[in-house]
Amino acid sequence: MRLVFFVAMLFVSLFVPVIGAELDAASIALNCLTCHNDTGKTSAIPPLNKLSALQMQQTLLDFKYDKKPATLMRRLAKGYSDAELAALAEYLSRR
Amino acid sequence: MPGLSRRHFLQTVAGLGAATLSGCQGLPRLASSKAHVVVVGGGFGGATAAKTMRLLDPTIQVTLIEPKARYITCPGSNWLFAGLTDLDKLTVDYQALQARYGVKLLADSVADLDAVKRQVRLTGGQTIGYDRLIMSPGIDFKWDAIAGYDKAAAQQFPHAWQAGPQTLLLAKQLQSMRDGGVLIMTVPADPYRCPPGPYERASMMAYWLKQHNPRAKIIILDAKRSFSKQALFEAGWTKHYGYGSSNSLIEWHSLADNPLLELDKKNQQLISEFGDRFQGDVLNIIPPQTAASIALQSGLADAGGWCPVQPLSGQSLFDEYIHIIGDAAHYAPIPKSAFAANSEAKACALAVINLLNQKPLAEPHWLNTCYSLITPQHGVSVAGVYRLDAAQTIVAVKGAGGVSIASGAETELLEADYTRVVYQQLVANSFA
Ligand SMILES: Cc1cc2nc3c(=O)[nH]c(=O)nc-3n(C[C@H](O)[C@H](O)[C@H](O)COP(=O)(O)OP(=O)(O)OC[C@H]3O[C@@H](n4cnc5c(N)ncnc54)[C@H](O)[C@@H]3O)c2cc1C
Ligand code: HEC
Repeated sequence: MRLVFFVAMLFVSLFVPVIGAELDAASIALNCLTCHNDTGKTSAIPPLNKLSALQMQQTLLDFKYDKKPATLMRRLAKGYSDAELAALAEYLSRR
Repeated sequence: MPGLSRRHFLQTVAGLGAATLSGCQGLPRLASSKAHVVVVGGGFGGATAAKTMRLLDPTIQVTLIEPKARYITCPGSNWLFAGLTDLDKLTVDYQALQARYGVKLLADSVADLDAVKRQVRLTGGQTIGYDRLIMSPGIDFKWDAIAGYDKAAAQQFPHAWQAGPQTLLLAKQLQSMRDGGVLIMTVPADPYRCPPGPYERASMMAYWLKQHNPRAKIIILDAKRSFSKQALFEAGWTKHYGYGSSNSLIEWHSLADNPLLELDKKNQQLISEFGDRFQGDVLNIIPPQTAASIALQSGLADAGGWCPVQPLSGQSLFDEYIHIIGDAAHYAPIPKSAFAANSEAKACALAVINLLNQKPLAEPHWLNTCYSLITPQHGVSVAGVYRLDAAQTIVAVKGAGGVSIASGAETELLEADYTRVVYQQLVANSFA
């Protein structure tokens, strides 16, 4: 097959980091929903449609700053800025 | 996708800032309503990509090409050695992808690609055109790596690194091993599918042996100097399987400086570079791996045998219309796991949708978690949050991720439960 070699520069110009926090939250949330499936089926993992945006934001910050015990979420919440966690909470609670 | 409102997501995508560049400069313009995306391989990566594409932009036609009518998950397959599951419980089909999301399924395999015409040719003879191709074909084995270990030999000495008959064969050999017998497991150097997989397997086998053949031994011969979640596994083995004592059920040896070169089938021995011979009643040989043969033969892999991609979009470095995800692709430092394949598929699907709709590419976000059982009541995990740095390379976010935080019976039990639940959620999120 013909190998179409990439002009790496093309991509640098394509990636525009100034994207709304909204879209970021949506794309991060796709990964959260792998585990947090709140279709109503019972699962040991808590659903995310029970908390208000504010409650969820606080919970995520508490995970991030080790104020809330958790097996996993402390490790995940540290991957995002406070602003991202706020946008994520807002996005997830509004679904 | 359960819980994610498509309407809302599309509103979000449509509400993008106007100051952004077109995502399709110089590329042929394609109305997304006529776009056709072909997905090759119905594993975790391919199924998630097909589902996510349809969920987020139903104007795009998606055809999934997968030869098997039913898919048996490798995740969970180690539990079979402890008698905790069976192949039925690990089997999924493609009904939901078709019925719920309108993915078109073709039960065939891709024989070759024509990158110029943008077509795939199926083994059955059919030719299918694509606007963009997403490949998630998984792995193949380097059969030449240990001389004498080939496809035929795997019928006697199973790898069980693709779940199915190989898993059953190995379980049968484990269970019928003589009293006090020795099982040898060989583990390849990085990168390979599921870094903690061999050690979870050893744990599950030890769990079974402890009850049925307590004088037996599992000897792990590892091409690496250290391994994933090593401290957690070794602590668990010490606690449950006498690790470190003379009658330990598990022994781990690094052969990083003395690699295994040859299999002597007749004597059931593995021979190393220095001429050491390791004899086992059962040999579980996990060979080194490469991207699946369709990727190799299509010129999409590099000299290392894996497919290099532009992480931003998953596009192959060799063909801009082909995106590669999952085990076949090189996304290091993200490990080759089903969870990662699911995450890569989502980022890739978003990029493909944006490219087809001439929208700018968004910043990708990847997540990985790998849970393993040491006993049915003792689970451990490793996690990572990944994103692009300024140089467009994938990095694990510093301070995030890592292995299980606390130890203690309570955490171990919780994580054992989460191991099972996360498996179920991951399968449902990918296939249902
Ligand atoms: C023992 C074991 C335990 C594991 N445990 C876990 C775990 O607990 N958690 C975890 O996250 N991961 C785990 N993994 C890893 C996981 O199985 C893989 O990372 C995952 O399957 C990768 O998905 P994929 O889509 O890249 O490839 P695959 O799942 O292998 O799917 C590839 C598909 O492509 C199809 N295909 C190949 N060639 C063609 C062709 N030419 N045309 C059409 N179709 C084709 C194949 O039939 C196959 O269905 C484990 C792996 C093993 C071996
Ligand atoms: C691998 C599975 C998994 C993933 C992925 C995951 N979570 Fe969690 N989540 C859990 C578990 C397990 C808990 C219970 C707390 C703990 O032990 O970590 C939890 C708890 C939570 C809670 C607390 C809910 C409550 O009512 O107490 C919130 C909020 C949350 N997660 C948000 C998120 C967000 C946001 C993401 C994505 C960035 C995410 N989770 C990704 C497994 C996951």
